[in-house]
Amino acid sequence: MILDQLILPWLLAWLMAGLGAYLVAVLDRWMATGSTQAGSVWLAPLASAAWLLTQQATTTEAPDAGAWRLAPALYLALAATGLALVPWSPTLVGVDLATSLVLWGSLEALATVVIFLHGWSANSHLALIGAYRYVALGISYLLVSMFVLIGVALPAESLRWTEVVAAQESLWHVVSQPLGLPLFLVVGLGLTFWGPLDLADSTDLSTGTAVERSGPPRLVWALARAAMLVAFSAIAATAFLGGWMGPWLPGPAWLLLKSLAVLVVLLWLGRRLPRLAPERCLTLMWVVLLPLSFVDLIWAGAVALWMA
Amino acid sequence: MTPSLATHIAFVVLAALAVLSGWRVFCTDSMVRASFFLLLSFIAVGGIMILLTAEYLGVAMFFMMAVEMMVMALFMVMFMMNPAGLNPMKMVHQERVAIVAGVAVFGVLSAVAVLGDFPDMPLPAEHAPVISLGRELLGDSMLVFETAGVVLLTTMVGVVVLSSRRGRYGRADEGSVPPGLEPGGEPAGRPKESEEEKGEEGGHAHQHHH
Amino acid sequence: MTLTTLLVLAAALIGIGFYGALSQQSFVMLMMGLELMLNGAMLAAVAFWAYSGAGAPEGQLLTIVIMAVMAIEMALGFALVVAVFRAKQADTTEALSELKQ
Repeated sequence: MILDQLILPWLLAWLMAGLGAYLVAVLDRWMATGSTQAGSVWLAPLASAAWLLTQQATTTEAPDAGAWRLAPALYLALAATGLALVPWSPTLVGVDLATSLVLWGSLEALATVVIFLHGWSANSHLALIGAYRYVALGISYLLVSMFVLIGVALPAESLRWTEVVAAQESLWHVVSQPLGLPLFLVVGLGLTFWGPLDLADSTDLSTGTAVERSGPPRLVWALARAAMLVAFSAIAATAFLGGWMGPWLPGPAWLLLKSLAVLVVLLWLGRRLPRLAPERCLTLMWVVLLPLSFVDLIWAGAVALWMA
Repeated sequence: MTPSLATHIAFVVLAALAVLSGWRVFCTDSMVRASFFLLLSFIAVGGIMILLTAEYLGVAMFFMMAVEMMVMALFMVMFMMNPAGLNPMKMVHQERVAIVAGVAVFGVLSAVAVLGDFPDMPLPAEHAPVISLGRELLGDSMLVFETAGVVLLTTMVGVVVLSSRRGRYGRADEGSVPPGLEPGGEPAGRPKESEEEKGEEGGHAHQHHH
Repeated sequence: MTLTTLLVLAAALIGIGFYGALSQQSFVMLMMGLELMLNGAMLAAVAFWAYSGAGAPEGQLLTIVIMAVMAIEMALGFALVVAVFRAKQADTTEALSELKQ
């Protein structure tokens, strides 16, 4: 009981977090340079990680001690919890709670708190601006994410991820709810503040909430962001792309492939989409994306009624 | 329902966390810290709810309270002195009375808990709490649920009216000044208006956006 | 984890919250005391639901209603604080003694 209820999910989640974060670093560098020359793409992330590990972890004047130390680890823990929720097959699930879908939503909400703490605890002005930016934007992503997730739960008549996948037996949600996946991808970019939505750790704030970080904690923060991106891709593949379902291959392999596809799309979007100023981004979220998520929910309800 | 040993251990840990962080809320130096201690207390109670198999309520507690406390922390920073907690901060009145009242409330309520005779009707073995909650919300108790929804909507309208700057009789903050740096001092952070600007403002105030 | 220990825990949370609501000078801290009391009330409701209500769904419903009450309390509380602050620059309860007039 202890083996399959505690240790296996733990191993699975951390393995995915570590390998996935490495993969994100490799893919991102490959997309940036456009070539895989001389193996540097594979080694460069490891080299920079090793360099960060050997550096000194500096601190600011009078930081909020607890939050300053814990924030990167907490964000990593949220990412690992997210990975533990992903169903690999009907039976291979880390945490199979009856409300695992709501738990993912609450991870997104807690991420807002953790990122705010990361910026606030440094006691430094650029980090604090980054933290406020994230909170202002994060609350708007949360609403969009919530409506999209309710739309996904409707046809399954359940809040459990395994049943959400089972409900996509005949038709994947990416087809039956065409608005859902694009909206959810925007939420994903926001949640990990990646690409154009990287307003919390952006270069105009000279890396924002992480500006005072150096050494191992900075490595953990980068790792946590990448792991969160991986967790989000796996959840998006579960919610919209039919999770473990597919011919020929076993379930976990399909989930891996689909998550990888979502991850590549996210990283590509991160490089392609234009950046917006924070206040315009906020307007876009509340005025355009939130009403679109209402439309998505109504659409999902109508389709669920029609198919039932 | 017979809880296992692991459940008991988890309960003790979470209960200690809930009480300790609840107590720290009122004796920490920073308002932001205080609101996140309160969040920690809520999360611990949510964990206990999950142990009691109320899975939806426990998880709902996490996301409701995460957002609520986040907003609370922002308001803290807006209104409060010393958001970073660099100085000691204790803003209390009638503290002795409050301590006595708090202990008395705890004493009376826990006496009720220990001495009271409550019916022993545990959850049935085959019980689906999420499904039963959903059926109740959209079945027998739909009126209660909808009333809560309408009250929330009313609250939203009321809050916007209360906090909006414009009312039927002009601006809501007309005549108000920022607080001084020391009690009763000059208003801080407002540039002095020059004479000509004032004269202009009297003429066509509607063209200026302040 | 029995009904008694759960209720004692709820009583402790309510007691701490009551202390906070009575003793804090600033409005926002006062509201945190109220929230802590509601936290204890929710725990007690769920405990009764699990141990002496035989899983009647109304027990869970009560908790949902308390959550709604908390949201309403916080939204209205903050709106009033904003309005009071605009009018009187007051953020502590003592500063509002003129309300008695």
